[in-house]
Amino acid sequence: MSGHTVRIELTVNGQQREAQVHPMTRLLDVLRENLRLTGTKEGCGEGECGACSIFINGELVNSCLVPAIQVQGAVIQTIEGVSSSKKYGSKLHGVQEAFLGWGGAQCGICTPGMIMAAVHLIENTLDPTTITENQIRTALAGNLCRCTGYTKIFEAVQKACHLPGSKA
Amino acid sequence: MTQALERSDYHRKQKRFAHENVTSPIKKGIGLASFMHGSGFTGSGEKILASVVGVEATSGGLVRILAASTEIGQGTNTIFSQIAADTLHLDYDSIEVAQPDTSQVPNSGPTVASRTCMIVGKLVESACISLKQTLISAGLLKENYSPTEFRKACSDYHQKFGPLKLFSKYQQPPQIGWDDVKYQGDAYGAYAWAVYIAEVSVDTRTCEVQVKDFVALQEVGKVIHPILAAGQIEGGVAQGIGYALYENVVWKDGRMANGQMTNYIMPTAADVPLIRVFFEEVPYAYGPAGAKGIGELPMDGPAPAILSAVENALGITGLNQIPLLPENLMLRHRSSR
Ligand code: FES
Ligand code: FES
Repeated sequence: MSGHTVRIELTVNGQQREAQVHPMTRLLDVLRENLRLTGTKEGCGEGECGACSIFINGELVNSCLVPAIQVQGAVIQTIEGVSSSKKYGSKLHGVQEAFLGWGGAQCGICTPGMIMAAVHLIENTLDPTTITENQIRTALAGNLCRCTGYTKIFEAVQKACHLPGSKA
Repeated sequence: MTQALERSDYHRKQKRFAHENVTSPIKKGIGLASFMHGSGFTGSGEKILASVVGVEATSGGLVRILAASTEIGQGTNTIFSQIAADTLHLDYDSIEVAQPDTSQVPNSGPTVASRTCMIVGKLVESACISLKQTLISAGLLKENYSPTEFRKACSDYHQKFGPLKLFSKYQQPPQIGWDDVKYQGDAYGAYAWAVYIAEVSVDTRTCEVQVKDFVALQEVGKVIHPILAAGQIEGGVAQGIGYALYENVVWKDGRMANGQMTNYIMPTAADVPLIRVFFEEVPYAYGPAGAKGIGELPMDGPAPAILSAVENALGITGLNQIPLLPENLMLRHRSSR
């Protein structure tokens, strides 16, 4: 993209970061290319698959649809921040533990997005142990997976709802 | 078959649905498919390919598997390590899998055809047996050894003879024969067998089909890793559900006209039921620890099972096209009334 660039300042995973980019650069590219946070994946690039899911000010968003200019000053959390955030020390988040233990990932392209969606559900539920299978389905319905058939992902998220590392 | 019918409660459900369907606009149905899928390349494919796998042991006793199979999340590296660890009586952690770069590893053929576990895995197993035998016949290892003794033997071998690397090449099991001229004989060394049962609901107002329950029972020989094996089946069944109901490739001027996730519809978390996977284990003599192929099998069964469930729900026969999109079913359903 040619033309003038702007300076974007934002908080990513608790750190102040900045990037000099065209205002319409996709946030996904700012994260992956400028900030080298390649944990967030691009599946479709058109808002259908959820592989690029991140949090903007706590909301679950497809980062491929967000122009950089729109996140000036925003607080962003990516998959890299799920395990390293102060809240959890250096340990994995309960959702990550559960994906590892119950076969929630195969090729891994959908995994960062799936984990973000699951973390969003769990952290926004007062008592995660009450989360039902249907709530999990609805929460993950925006995240496509070609490999797992979702079954192991549901099982992993169900387990994560009961793990201590998942409490908000 | 008996087990699949029991697990899915087939007969009772069929009766119950027939009764309930009379008064409900949403019709339920249950259907089954029994099928098989050959493991490895067809005909003489494996014989011609003559795949090779290597294993090497470092002087520190670390074992590296040299194979060309690509790990794409299906679990190749995990099961190869399991097979090697098991054959060599070592810890899983003392096995490493080399990157499948053919400047470093022998040609063990492509990662296709439900062959990685049965064909390449078997070569991993036999190369590990040769490794063990080499150390034993060099007088450096006894038949029953501990991991420490194995490490010591590797180190001694390196000092005495240099690098320790063994290869194993595919040999067709003697009872399999394929005639390339007449195109007759055993198309595959072994088959995986399955019975899949799908339960569906069909909304007769919109002709939308939903899969409510899915039982996938299969015999794939010995199951090497239960979680990964179930993951292969669940993923394949979900793809099969897409194949049966949603995934419609539209061709225009030699190109796919709907090559976007927006207009090529695949199943989401909201469309796939909990897939219930069961294995019957009948070890196969020419597979590693008795395993056969698994990858492609689960793609074959869902579409026929789902279509026959839809036929059962609507009391019709002869559905023979997929994907069974609502509009197609609507035309068909209307004309049959
Ligand atoms: S890459 Fe953003 S939704 Fe698919
Ligand atoms: S693990 Fe491959 S797309 Fe989900």
